[in-house]
Amino acid sequence: MKVEGEHLFKAPREVVYEMFNDPTALGAAVPGLQKMTKIDASHYEATLGIRVGPVSANFSGTLSLTDEVPPEKVTLIVEGKGGAGFVKGVGYVNFEDLGDKTTMMRYVGEANIGGTLASVGQRMIDSVSKSIFKTAFEKLDKILEERWQQK
Amino acid sequence: MTGKYFGQPVQRLEDKFLLTGNAKFIDDIELPGMLHAAFYRSDYAHARILKIDVSEARKHPGVIAVYTAEDFGDYWKPGPLQVPPPTAIPGSKFNARTLVPIAKDKIRFSGEPLAVVIAESRYIAEDAFDDIIVDVEPLPAVVDLEKAWEDTSVLVHDDLPSNMAALVTQEVGNYEEAKKKADFVISKRMLVEHVAAAAMENRGLVVNWDDRNQEMTVWATTQSPLTIRGAIARSLGLAESQVHVINPYIGGGFGPKVMSSQADDVLLPWIAKQLKRPIKWIEDRRENFLATTSERDQVHHSEIAFMKDGTVIGVKDVFYHNTGAYDSYGMTVPLNTQTHTISNYRIPNFFTQIRMVFTNTMVVTPVRGAGRSEGVFTMERMMDFAAKKLGMDPAEFRKKNLLTPEEMPYKTGIIGQDFVSNVLDSGDYLGNMNKCLEMVDYEKFRKEIQPKARKEGKRLGIGVVAFTEGTAVGPYEGCKITVSTNGKVTMSTGYSTQGQGHFTVYAQIVADALNVKVEDVKVITGDTGHFAWGAGTFASRGATLVSTATYLASQKVRAKIFATASKALDVPEDQVDLCEGYVCVKGKPETRIMLGELASKANPMRGVVEPGVEPGLEATAYYGPPHGATGCGACAIILNIDPETYKPKIERFVIVHDCGTVINPLLLEGQIQGGVSMGIGNSFYEKMVYDENGQMLTASFMDYLMPQATDMPDKIEMGHGHEKSPLNPLGIKGVGEAGALPPGPAFAQALEDAFNDIPLEILESNLNPSIVYEYVKKARNS
Amino acid sequence: MSQTFPISVTVNGKVYDREVEPRLLLSDFLRHDLGLMGTHVGCEHGICGACTVIFDNEPVRSCLIFAVQANGHEIRTVESLGTPEHLHPLQQSFTDKHALQCGFCTPGFLMTLVPFLEEHPNPSRSEIREAIDGNICRCTGYEKIVEAVEDAAAKLSQKK
Repeated sequence: MKVEGEHLFKAPREVVYEMFNDPTALGAAVPGLQKMTKIDASHYEATLGIRVGPVSANFSGTLSLTDEVPPEKVTLIVEGKGGAGFVKGVGYVNFEDLGDKTTMMRYVGEANIGGTLASVGQRMIDSVSKSIFKTAFEKLDKILEERWQQK
Repeated sequence: MTGKYFGQPVQRLEDKFLLTGNAKFIDDIELPGMLHAAFYRSDYAHARILKIDVSEARKHPGVIAVYTAEDFGDYWKPGPLQVPPPTAIPGSKFNARTLVPIAKDKIRFSGEPLAVVIAESRYIAEDAFDDIIVDVEPLPAVVDLEKAWEDTSVLVHDDLPSNMAALVTQEVGNYEEAKKKADFVISKRMLVEHVAAAAMENRGLVVNWDDRNQEMTVWATTQSPLTIRGAIARSLGLAESQVHVINPYIGGGFGPKVMSSQADDVLLPWIAKQLKRPIKWIEDRRENFLATTSERDQVHHSEIAFMKDGTVIGVKDVFYHNTGAYDSYGMTVPLNTQTHTISNYRIPNFFTQIRMVFTNTMVVTPVRGAGRSEGVFTMERMMDFAAKKLGMDPAEFRKKNLLTPEEMPYKTGIIGQDFVSNVLDSGDYLGNMNKCLEMVDYEKFRKEIQPKARKEGKRLGIGVVAFTEGTAVGPYEGCKITVSTNGKVTMSTGYSTQGQGHFTVYAQIVADALNVKVEDVKVITGDTGHFAWGAGTFASRGATLVSTATYLASQKVRAKIFATASKALDVPEDQVDLCEGYVCVKGKPETRIMLGELASKANPMRGVVEPGVEPGLEATAYYGPPHGATGCGACAIILNIDPETYKPKIERFVIVHDCGTVINPLLLEGQIQGGVSMGIGNSFYEKMVYDENGQMLTASFMDYLMPQATDMPDKIEMGHGHEKSPLNPLGIKGVGEAGALPPGPAFAQALEDAFNDIPLEILESNLNPSIVYEYVKKARNS
Repeated sequence: MSQTFPISVTVNGKVYDREVEPRLLLSDFLRHDLGLMGTHVGCEHGICGACTVIFDNEPVRSCLIFAVQANGHEIRTVESLGTPEHLHPLQQSFTDKHALQCGFCTPGFLMTLVPFLEEHPNPSRSEIREAIDGNICRCTGYEKIVEAVEDAAAKLSQKK
């Protein structure tokens, strides 16, 4: 499954990038994310609970950051496993400074989904993932607003 | 054969039990102390197993035991070949890699079992899945058939140099020479895609090991109890007489239930012997999609060489066939494709090659049609492309090439699934086609109905195709008929029933032969305790083989009745006759003996018997044909396609079918209608989809769509041919799979005809509105 | 861990008081707790209709309902229609017209059709087809089922 999109953040690039490196921010933003612990600078462990149509699943796995060029870009590698299947994905994320204290984040990636999730939830995965992204961005926008206002 | 019942629309004897919830199906069986099994299955399609940790699962309350491959020790081994390899075909290459009961070291398809959980209930068994930890090294999966053949970097079986499961080439005449002489040659690449049998009842098994008597009883939804009995006996080192396999009522078969030596019938009997408690396993729908066999999935590279007058002089068909991760079922399916490609036609040069590949998908075994559908689809499409090239009407083009009864028996020269060269025994192909055209009002459609519809902006099209159905292959079937002391009759056979009406159809034959009421004949199928010889239910064999064996056995019983009665009544044998339920004497109405009483007399408990006389009014008979009997027919569809949504409506559906002598016309209609609904499903709705990682995307009825009542044409118009088969005394040919064969190509032809103002070319079966839209768009742009 | 709840369900006119786990499906309760095996499970995800029973006069998918949800309600299963000796007119039409082959889906069709015929005593063929669109049959192709319903409708309206 191909994943791609973009989102305009109303804050300078450094602030946005910093937020993405903060597990508390991500933990609060991604719906269903139950736990997110930083192992080291480029590895996180997380557990995620989601519902895709008739399948509700808990996944536990890792998020790795590679090819980091802060605050410009980063490659995310996600690997998760659970009772309802597995997810393995790669996402290329880049942040563009638009000059007016706003940042355009663009992402493109591939996710491979297997197990029950793929076999009975397949036709909903697209819309569910879009909805997860939408909710996450809305929450991140709020978090960003608070942080940027503080500064 | 004539009689009170044979050839009549006798109502089914089994219905009243099925209608009222009184028929016992597999999940209805409950035994004291029974445990429940659940299979923990792989999510990955291709992976190396590093570790399976079931220690926590074993501690789960209510869990009795959990097993992985290691726990079975030497008992774990790849299963037997279900079908022998094609050594009868010269030059054939076959790599046997048979299904393993549970994955060990390597996972080869998504859904392959990794562990067996035995618990107090199925709910608890599945709860324990959460406690199982599996560590794997995922591998890339191979799913595309042509890639699987070419690419050796990803191997399903590492001990082989490639993913080639088999290479089988057959030729009649010389295609390359014929091609040189042809006026036209057309080549196409076509797909017939993966479908599921999707019987309404999933598979299941209940096993009870009686440790004191050292006897095993297995209830199973198998189409071949005798195969399972033999396999269980062999693997456990038991005598066949220690293993009793019984079919309950079965909710549909359609092919996959004939596959055996799978996780359930291999592992659960062993486990039952260990635990000394009965064990039940009932498959759920998702498991059925993932891990019960399915079929179709072929890529054809076909060529047709023909003359400008419409004579087809040669066909070449090189096709890739998906056998899945293992090839336990041998070459049955693709051999059926080979024998059903040119089988309607007089084509002297035919080259056909099977390139069978292993992929990371579930094993392929027959589903109603069993490879024939792919052959019929390919050939009928090529005939259509050739007809179009010449600007000839597709029906006329076919008529020019159809075989005639005078040419039969016609030796096709192609070896089939029974490993003998296929011979077409009977059939008036031209007659079927003409009847079909007449029934569908072909001329009127072309001249009036279609042009009128086109003016109204409607997309109406017609498709007419011919087909044959090879049926009734060997090796043999048999039955035993016994008259009881209560005057009723029992017939038992090794054959198996999944709704075909065997309890009635065979009773009709016995009732006529012995002059008893049909409801007084009890037919027992699929119980190895009653009859223990035979191969099982597949390839539409029952109507022919079992009926013939029944007929032969009843004649033997009749002879015994006359001989015994002659002595009992002290009259010459030729004076004795069978009246309804009793033996009577010609010219002496007061002299009679009831059948039941005669049966008692035939079984003396004291005294002496004459040498050579066997007890009882009982006889056994077997029948094995020299080769299969071929049913045939023609089919027409008038399709109305919505020009915006591409939703199809079948305005008319006509099928003419010849199965020789008809035993029960009511049941015959049911078989044809059922087959047609599957054929329509395969044309437009049904498709099993695996993604490139071997993940099945259609493992539920939400995504795997089958025809519903409103998707079917309101009336399937049926015509019948009556060319009796010379191969058996009753002249019968099979019909079980016939309906599933022609709808695919007829649908495609009708679709192209509905859009005959653009160069629409349908190169695949298993369509849907999006796929049709793409084809139409492509045609419009060219 | 597995807590049970007391329920009281009327099935085919008889009251059953039982203790069940909240996650027990109604289909499993009817079949394995009460021994009424006529209701069959084909898919467990609500599409095939084989598990159809009547729940307070409405046909429902018993595989999508928990037994606890049936507490205080009235269920009718295929066992309430007839016996092998005395078939319900609809059942008789089914056998007369050969509207069943393997019979696995049949109880679901019957329990869909009984309320349907009560509300539509004189249905057209297309109305019948729409009524059974929620029941999948893999054996018959539906045609003889439609004929059986027409036959039963005629018989039942004659009785009135």
